[in-house]
Amino acid sequence: MSLAFLSTQGAVEGVVAPLASSPMERVARAAGAQFVFRAGWNVAASYGSAQREREACAEAVGWVDLSHVGKLEVQGAPDQLVALGSELAGREVAAAGGGATPIGSGWWCPMAATRVLVLLPPGGGDELRETIAEALPRLAPSASLVDLTSALASLVIVGPRAREVIARFCALDLRPAASQVGSFHPGSVARTPGGILHEGPDRFRLLFGSALGEYLWTVVADAAEQFGGRPVGDEVLMEIDRETDGTSAHA
Amino acid sequence: MRLAQQPGERIDRSRRIKFSFDGRSVEAHPGDTIASALLAGEQRVLSRSFKYHRPRGELCFSGRCAHSMMDVDGWPGARACSELVREGLRVQHINAWPSLRFDVMRATDLFGGPFTPPGFYYKTFIRPRRLWPVYEKVLRNAAGLARLRPAQDEREWRTEYRRRHCDVLVIGGGVAGLQAAIAAARSGADVVLADEDLEPGGRLLVEGAHEEARDLVRTAREAGVEVLEGAAALGFFDGLVPVWQGSTLHQVRAARHIAATGTVEQSLVFPDNDLPGVMLSGGARRAAALYGVAPGAAVLVAATSDSGLDDALALYRAGVRVVAVADLRDAPDSADLAQQLGAAGIELISGSTVVRAAGRGGVSEAVTARVDERGVARSGTTKRHECDVIAVGGGEVPASSLLLQAGAHATYDERSGRFVAGELPPSVHAAGSVVGHESAAAAAASGSVAGLEAALALGIGGSEVEQQLAEARERLVAAGGPGRVAVAPALATDGRRGGKAFVDLDEDVTAKDIAYAVDEGFSSIELAKRYTTVTMGPSQGRFSQLPSARLIAKATGLSLGEIGMTTARPPWVTVPLGALAGRPFEPAKRSSIHGCHRDLGATVRWAGDWRRAYDYGDPQGEALAVQQTAGLIDVSTLGKLIVAGPDAGAFLDRLYPNRLSNLAPNRIRYGVLTSEAGRITDDGTVCRLDENSFLVTTTSSGAGAVEQWFSWWLATWDMDVRLTDVTQGLAAVNLAGPKAREILSSLTDLDCSAEGFPYLHARQGTVAGVPCLAMRIGFVGEVGYELHFPAAYGEHLWGAIMEAGREHGIRPFGMEPQRILRLQKLHVIVGQDTDSESLPAAAGMPWIVKLDKEEDFIGRWALELAADRVPESKLVGFTTANGHVPTEGAVIVRDGVAAGQVTSSRYAPKLDRVIGMAWVPTDLAVDDAQVQISDAGRILEARVTTRPFYDPEGEVLRS
Repeated sequence: MSLAFLSTQGAVEGVVAPLASSPMERVARAAGAQFVFRAGWNVAASYGSAQREREACAEAVGWVDLSHVGKLEVQGAPDQLVALGSELAGREVAAAGGGATPIGSGWWCPMAATRVLVLLPPGGGDELRETIAEALPRLAPSASLVDLTSALASLVIVGPRAREVIARFCALDLRPAASQVGSFHPGSVARTPGGILHEGPDRFRLLFGSALGEYLWTVVADAAEQFGGRPVGDEVLMEIDRETDGTSAHA
Repeated sequence: MRLAQQPGERIDRSRRIKFSFDGRSVEAHPGDTIASALLAGEQRVLSRSFKYHRPRGELCFSGRCAHSMMDVDGWPGARACSELVREGLRVQHINAWPSLRFDVMRATDLFGGPFTPPGFYYKTFIRPRRLWPVYEKVLRNAAGLARLRPAQDEREWRTEYRRRHCDVLVIGGGVAGLQAAIAAARSGADVVLADEDLEPGGRLLVEGAHEEARDLVRTAREAGVEVLEGAAALGFFDGLVPVWQGSTLHQVRAARHIAATGTVEQSLVFPDNDLPGVMLSGGARRAAALYGVAPGAAVLVAATSDSGLDDALALYRAGVRVVAVADLRDAPDSADLAQQLGAAGIELISGSTVVRAAGRGGVSEAVTARVDERGVARSGTTKRHECDVIAVGGGEVPASSLLLQAGAHATYDERSGRFVAGELPPSVHAAGSVVGHESAAAAAASGSVAGLEAALALGIGGSEVEQQLAEARERLVAAGGPGRVAVAPALATDGRRGGKAFVDLDEDVTAKDIAYAVDEGFSSIELAKRYTTVTMGPSQGRFSQLPSARLIAKATGLSLGEIGMTTARPPWVTVPLGALAGRPFEPAKRSSIHGCHRDLGATVRWAGDWRRAYDYGDPQGEALAVQQTAGLIDVSTLGKLIVAGPDAGAFLDRLYPNRLSNLAPNRIRYGVLTSEAGRITDDGTVCRLDENSFLVTTTSSGAGAVEQWFSWWLATWDMDVRLTDVTQGLAAVNLAGPKAREILSSLTDLDCSAEGFPYLHARQGTVAGVPCLAMRIGFVGEVGYELHFPAAYGEHLWGAIMEAGREHGIRPFGMEPQRILRLQKLHVIVGQDTDSESLPAAAGMPWIVKLDKEEDFIGRWALELAADRVPESKLVGFTTANGHVPTEGAVIVRDGVAAGQVTSSRYAPKLDRVIGMAWVPTDLAVDDAQVQISDAGRILEARVTTRPFYDPEGEVLRS
């Protein structure tokens, strides 16, 4: 594959296993993150106290680095993209501007009529990745597929103060009346190009350029700490998802 | 002096707190402002004026004038009448030295008048010219009102931005604003109300209806309105209204806006109208009603409408002695008010106004009289009144700044004597006294109308809301129009000499100054404003807009309608610069290897929007290492675009002047992008990945522009091509030097030999287990491999290469050594060695333009024209003889005239000489030509070279 060098999928284990790192790894470490090796990535799994992390998510706000979760960009003809998305989602997906559609635990996020961002499931997206690779030549033969996992970093902001925190650095309208769960808002995030996926009640996934990871972490931490927020490991997030059967992340 | 407890007062008399004013302890109650506490303690002088350093006392008691500006805990712009007292607060006066009581700069008032007319700094202090630096120092020292603390950390505080979307933004929390907010919210709208006062409620709070006001606020909150208190709307920016509250700037974006901004009470212009004790009658009433403080022992009220009479009665009922009311009208509208005044024993002097204030350090006497059409006291009508407060009500001016900023036009209304906002722009509504609905009943009804209209305009509410709107409109009609207001004279005077009559108290602009400006030809209100600075002070012209227009009208003989108003501009209230700056975070891009650079002690500098390793402490040593052993540089900042699709090759052929569609897979070609005018805009490499895919690299700072350029043309040409910007997704390093091949070979199965992996070829494989695109290119002139790989492996791969290269003496190198190395090869840096006029041929790259291409391409027409002409100058290399490194930007001179420019210059350690690049006249762009460089006052001799200084044949590079 000519674009294999774009994807972390092509890594091979030699004398030393290649370790993929989030662009926020160093700031997370400085904030007390404890890491686990998961699917080739060094993942900030916790920050020392699952209880405090859960409390932050339930009572104030927490932010979770999900940069390691796979992201694919599909470009192609609008009708082909709708056909592909609809098969993956098991229901009709909207074209651009119509919001995101869940694909299992992942998301189909139209950025424009000819461009879609696919967010793979947090727990490992190999299956969906393979499904897309299989369906692409059949349903969208002229479409292109690029792995943007390393290009886009991601922070989930979760908790009752999530909107208020995001409002400190982002002008996108996330009021309940203007943004339902499943809404996807491409736009400026902290003065940089990005987007926000409204992936659950009081839960938003920020997507932004990975080179801006340290900057975004600083901005989010600065805003969230005013509301009693704290960084949260992805284990707590997964735990919440398990307990809520995924409804915390989906409509 | 404290009055007896007032029904709606804000202070808690059961508790006491202390703060200091100029080092003196002052007692206050919780709920007091600094000004109310000081006034209660008989401190009448609060500040010194801007220009003449005259003593000034409280004027408005609403946080709008400049008189109460003080330094509060190091914050120099705080308004004492809107700043609540806190235990231990340290308050100091500003703009007076050595003390508030005795200020030496008062000499400018007493003796400096002839030397300080409007624009004096352009006139008085221009001769002799050589003394200007001294004058400037003195003037700068005298200017300003206060001093910032010298240490940065002492003058920093946290400011926030908060973005808020809503359906309806109501600006103003008086009865009209509250009713509008309630009506809109009850209809189902998401409503934000911003009120600039300490407490919403507006005039209800001081007019005995405080309970109603507080009920309305409660009702609004219960209806879901977000009420922002102490929150001033700064301006109207195409629908975005910034609201400054405490330390937070709310950026409110609303679908509909309702301005319920009320009116601003005006002062009167008469000699010595700035003496401490002259205050707005509404301000005096606020002091009594909200803080239980008597504005003085004896008050004379000067009125132009019934509201002045009402203020006088309110002061009397609060326990203040009112000696008389001078009403400019011949009779009040309300006979009842006149009767009440009589019952209270307050003399009503009809048809009169104040023509002079008298006193030392404060008012001790007011002089009233009937005035003629010029404002001069009529003979035999003068009366003197012993008093220490003159409470003036010069009429109300609509606070229409936001409406005007939104696009409404102001016209002068003869009947009311005011400038009023005309037709409102779409999405904007107005309610209350700002549009003439002055009585509480009218304001309330107009608020309901505005709120309901806004809701209906948003498609919220149905027939029920329409019915409510009809009823509200009926109430508004029934409430009637505004009362009669006498138009105050531009300047009222007793005809005696002496005494300054101020039209702008912030800026110390007098009536005489305005007349002076008009005499000098600054007769339009906009010019007079700039010449005299009238309306430009901290209160943003609130109290001087109308008086200054009246004075210009008087001086020019024009009507007020012809004079007009100055343009309404934001901000509506003074705002700290920190509020505009927001949080101090810069959106800096950092490569995924950035942490390693920091660990290695790199000097980090900006490169475009990236933070980049400039060097690691020894740039020349790092450059030498690249040429002697091996070096590793992080080039992740390069722009990277995937261009894919059946038309990708043809697309690139149209964008670049050379041919790229014939590039074989896994081959690389250098490319220069040009504008339509054939000028160089960017450069980089193009690598063909497969039949339909290319990786295009750009300069670090040009990535965004190139991506936009490609997207724009793609949209225009509608070709079957897809672009993906992978700049941040791919990390990239350049491993270069004699040992590079050996080091790379130890980490990969790729054949890295010269034959197996030739120059300008690309290979895909894993390096240290990481999937990579390896490109044999050499910006620094040595055998080099540019590795592109997923950014997530940045630290891993950097570490692996450094570890593998350790035994070979590998060193990291930064931007600075890279610049030395590329200069040796005369490799151009676009933007540094080229500018917006640089053509490829003149920049030493004639070979890059393929005019024999069949396809049309961007800039072709211009490049064809250029090919037929000899350029004026060319980009060449040079060396200097004496070892001096000329400044980049130094001038190439010929016969003493500028003829070119040095673009790059460095000392090259490997060559042990100074080298550079420069644009020189074409006839000098030949090997060994001598040119002269003028650099910082001296002339340097330099010798031209057109061939690279190092490895001119590229043998090393290709080896």
